Amino acid sequence: MIKCNALTRRYDDITAISDLNLTIEDREVFGLLGPNGAGKTTTMRMLACLIAPTSGDATIGGHSILDLRGQQEIRRITGLLPEAPGLYDTLSAHANLDFYGKLYGMPQALRERSIKEVLEKFDLWDRRDDAVGTFSKGMRQKVAIARAILHDPTYLFLDEPTAGLDPKASKTVRDYIVSLREEGKTIVINTHNLAEAERICDRVALINGRTIQVGPPGNLARGLFARTLTVTLAEEDPSLAEGLESFPYIASIETSGTRLRLTVKDPEQNNPSLVKWLVEKGARVQFVEEEEYSLEDVYLRLMEEGGRR
Amino acid sequence: MISDNAKAVMRKDLSEFRRQKLVIGSIIAMPLILGILIPLSMFAPIAMEAPEGPTWDVENLFTQGRLDPSWDVPETASTLESVETADVALQNTRVVNATIERAVLTECDVRDSTLKNVTIDSCLLENVNLYNCVVTNSRGAGLDGETIMSVDSELVFEHERESELEKLIPMFLNTTLILFIILPVTLPTIIASYSIVGEKNNKSLEPILASPTTDGELLLGKVLSAFVPSMASTLGAVAVGGAIINIFLSQLGEPLLPNLTWVLGILLLAPLACIMSILACVIVSSRVTDVRAAQQVGGFIVMPVIVLMFGVLAGVILLTPLAMLAISGAFAAANGGLYYFAKAIFNREDILVRWA
Repeated sequence: MIKCNALTRRYDDITAISDLNLTIEDREVFGLLGPNGAGKTTTMRMLACLIAPTSGDATIGGHSILDLRGQQEIRRITGLLPEAPGLYDTLSAHANLDFYGKLYGMPQALRERSIKEVLEKFDLWDRRDDAVGTFSKGMRQKVAIARAILHDPTYLFLDEPTAGLDPKASKTVRDYIVSLREEGKTIVINTHNLAEAERICDRVALINGRTIQVGPPGNLARGLFARTLTVTLAEEDPSLAEGLESFPYIASIETSGTRLRLTVKDPEQNNPSLVKWLVEKGARVQFVEEEEYSLEDVYLRLMEEGGRR
Repeated sequence: MISDNAKAVMRKDLSEFRRQKLVIGSIIAMPLILGILIPLSMFAPIAMEAPEGPTWDVENLFTQGRLDPSWDVPETASTLESVETADVALQNTRVVNATIERAVLTECDVRDSTLKNVTIDSCLLENVNLYNCVVTNSRGAGLDGETIMSVDSELVFEHERESELEKLIPMFLNTTLILFIILPVTLPTIIASYSIVGEKNNKSLEPILASPTTDGELLLGKVLSAFVPSMASTLGAVAVGGAIINIFLSQLGEPLLPNLTWVLGILLLAPLACIMSILACVIVSSRVTDVRAAQQVGGFIVMPVIVLMFGVLAGVILLTPLAMLAISGAFAAANGGLYYFAKAIFNREDILVRWA
């Protein structure tokens, strides 16, 4: 489990992140979302024990990031994919990974086995002896991810794991992240890619120098947007809209041809009586659908309303 | 004890250097220049210009020509012993323990005597003081005196004087030694600048720092990765250069290298100078973001050794073993200060927040 308690980091006069309180459960894929300069990378760096918080604390697997011994232990049990791959271009993929295996104290036999395993997973085993400077951006990102997981960490911090990748490479990385969760890893992702976060994250935190909202991507829209129904009829009937105006639980009505767009307070409670009334009025109801809001809608609304720093 | 992580950082850097033309070129080219070209350019002219035989410290000694090796000791028919005489002409005579003035001596064997205003031809002289004498076609040893004209003779005097070229040899040796010490100072400015600023430009410091490697291990690894090739290159240059210098020294009849000054210079001062350069590079690298800028600023690191060289050339600093120990002590003290400064700035927080 990862717990952040009032985690704060300032750079001179600038506060990158303030009073961050989060709990990330084991085996969870957790997304940190926010605009540039929101403090996502700073948060990740503090959790990876690269920089110290100005105040507050965090624990990873029970080890405090403030404690020197805890920091060493955290470095052993975590893997980091930084924003830039940071590979050694003149060295081969194998040599890059072998170097990091040594830094993590892996014995040679285990190193060789793990390097083979991760490179095969990313279809790079055949290119293991090629200098990574000759690799495409996607391949380099795969090697960087392979480096982060080489020592089999329990916690993974991935900063923009699919940034700059083509759709196919992005999908490979996304699928791999999901497979890592199934293997029992806890994964924290920094991303601008909201569709991706929606697809792979169990929960997300919207941050912009502070926590704005935390929750499963699908639940964040609740309470943020009014719930809207679209009723599609077989034939157009303007009189229905007039009749619906008298309903106390309908906040607004828009008509567009055979479609009625209704803002309803409690669809679960109100929809049956609403549909019954329409049918009684002779309307031939074809579809009743609730409008869904994407994480992008949520993100933009939250950033617009409360996310200003 | 060097930790496994420091060794891993060093080996990784060395693997990278093997593929860097600038680094590998410097490691090979600089020893070639210093190890071969400089000894050749300094010592070859000395060997060519050096006079044959020793130079005698006798006032107003003029020599011309050399004695034919087929010269034989003259046979003597009579002996003149323990006398003081003047205005004589002696031929085929053994002269022992005598003082002779204004004379002409031909085919004589003269021992333990003093000759003043004498013309000497085809004689053998031993332990003789010569004043205002002209010596032709003669051989002598253990001689002394003043105002002597020697023509086609081989005379060995008691008082030898160093030739000007002989005086230059120790200075040239010291200058060459300093040049060899410049090598381990210069090479790290290329290697360490690359290995630290390069890492920074490559954005590869973050994943290293996220590993269990400590700041000290990373610093040690970086120091070693610059130290090992710099000193290996230096020792290679010294081995080649020393061998070339020894060829010339043997021709000149001078003592061969290594002497104690060189041993201390190469095995004590050069490593200390190398470490000083590396630590200074670490400090410089923390303030710049470009490898070339780091190398240019790093060029100033050579200045203390250049000052040392000028001191040697000007004769202000004499590189004796004691001086080597004193200079090494000063470098060691400077290294202590630089180490604490480098260690203070070489921490995760500064590397990531201020270096980037």
